[in-house]
Amino acid sequence: MPLRRLTAWRGTADVGSGLERARSFMILATLLYRASHLLVGVLAVAQRQHGPVQYAGVATALGLSALVFGTALRRGWFDRWFVTADILVAGGALPFVLWAWGGVQRPDSLGWAMLLGTSGMAAAAVTLERLHVLAAFVLLAATHLFAYHLVGAQPGVLVGHVSSLVSSAGIAWVFWWYLRRQGRLLDEANARALEAERHRARYAERLAHHRALHDTVLATLTALAAGGIDANTPRVRERCAREAAYLRRLIQRTADEVPHDSVGAALEEAVGSVESLGLRVVAQYHALPEVPPAVAAALADATREALNNVRRHAGTGRAHLTATGSGGEDIVVTVVDQGAGFDPGTHVPGLGLRGSVHARMTEAGGRATVESAPGDGVRVELRWPA
Amino acid sequence: MAGVTTIGVIDDDRMLVDGMRAWLRDEPGLRLTASAATVGEFLGLCPPDGAPAEVVLLDLVLRDGSTPTGNIHRLRETGSRVLVISTVPDRSRIVESLRAGADGYLTKDNDLPTLAAAVADIAAGRGAHSPELAFACAHDTDPARPRLSPRERQILLDYASGMTLKSAARRAGITVHTAKDYLDRVKTKYREAGRAAYTKIDLARRVHEDGLGGS
Repeated sequence: MPLRRLTAWRGTADVGSGLERARSFMILATLLYRASHLLVGVLAVAQRQHGPVQYAGVATALGLSALVFGTALRRGWFDRWFVTADILVAGGALPFVLWAWGGVQRPDSLGWAMLLGTSGMAAAAVTLERLHVLAAFVLLAATHLFAYHLVGAQPGVLVGHVSSLVSSAGIAWVFWWYLRRQGRLLDEANARALEAERHRARYAERLAHHRALHDTVLATLTALAAGGIDANTPRVRERCAREAAYLRRLIQRTADEVPHDSVGAALEEAVGSVESLGLRVVAQYHALPEVPPAVAAALADATREALNNVRRHAGTGRAHLTATGSGGEDIVVTVVDQGAGFDPGTHVPGLGLRGSVHARMTEAGGRATVESAPGDGVRVELRWPA
Repeated sequence: MAGVTTIGVIDDDRMLVDGMRAWLRDEPGLRLTASAATVGEFLGLCPPDGAPAEVVLLDLVLRDGSTPTGNIHRLRETGSRVLVISTVPDRSRIVESLRAGADGYLTKDNDLPTLAAAVADIAAGRGAHSPELAFACAHDTDPARPRLSPRERQILLDYASGMTLKSAARRAGITVHTAKDYLDRVKTKYREAGRAAYTKIDLARRVHEDGLGGS
């Protein structure tokens, strides 16, 4: 999910998508609802000093709630099976258990257990499929009617409880529907904003390319076309070769159709800076990944330094640069020359190699390796992540 | 003529052909014998008894609608060896050329000594290697690509990164000779894969033409 990765770099990963936000809100709301019912249960049982079955009932309800909501909080959404278990055990079975073995004979002693069914219904309404929600409702309504009938409750209490079942399910579902819709709208708006930003970035990049082409290739061709310049002088040929190399790299970089080309652009700057000092760079790119801007900057700095080393020490005037990704997030950049080289056993690396290459890469979470032998060129490999 | 290799150039860029002619004039071991803008035109210059040139420099993409594969097959049928050249290394087409039997690939920005060395290698029947070709093979993402051994892959990658064969061999702890062998083997694998695919297509075509496949 490149889009997700992108937002992660911008430090907004904690916000999440609209759907995720709607979900966490629903989990929180139903959790508070259930917590209020549990509180009633604990108080009711504690105040009236009931027997062990009552305590076991409260403990079961607490355990099931912990399972349902704990899982939901951890995974980001409810588990259907746990919600179903909660409906069957806390909502369906508990009142009968309390009546049969807990010695509960009056409606007001059974009330807290019945309440659990209503909060369970709220969670079920947003989690289960429509038919299952209906089945849960029928089961709970039957439980309420039958259990209250057993303890001889007034018809008013019955009607009140069934209607609170309906409204719990209804309100939860309406909330859920509304939040999901808002979330989707928000996601769409975000996607549009992101696309617009991409478009702007592409446009800015194109403008930068045009400017670069204008200052280099176009200027050179125009001057040559105007005549009066000997195209065969070393200076003109050198300039043409440099600009051809620029165009070649430009085509390579854009061949993979990567929407974000932060590495490509950063490396290009590094190459440009040494080319203007007379080094020829042959570059090959493949599947450049999207990396955090700090990593792109570190790679470019290290590459620039490695290329500068070629320019100063290799004595060939030519360097090879490759940058390749494997299709994931990782990237390997190599800077290779076929020049003088050095003996790694006796050579003390200069400040540039230590600081701008090794330290810079380590700092960005990558790694640099320098290999060489006298007369055998130098190979610098930059790898991210390390 | 001992020591002189005959060269043909097929490129629809007139300026490049002229430049090549001027370039090769001063190169004692090479002689440009024929140049054309298309393979058809080039084969028209072909003497009836054989190839017009030992090594043909073929532009990767000609503007006459022909494909690298078709062009290379036609040229190789005359007995010429083919060195493919292009301005920009278009990797999938480079690999396609290799599969079709090209003997080497170079970008046009290489200098004369590099070109001369590649032509000499090819004329002598040795494989000509270049970092661009190695890079195209090393990063070939075609699911039908030949399977390479880890050693072949390492040498290929190092050579593609711009190291000399000697440095790549030193790095792998093997002799230059063995390293070259690995590169040759990669090339052979591609050509064999290409030949197998071509034979299949060719066979299918012939079966179709003979009317054996239809009913």
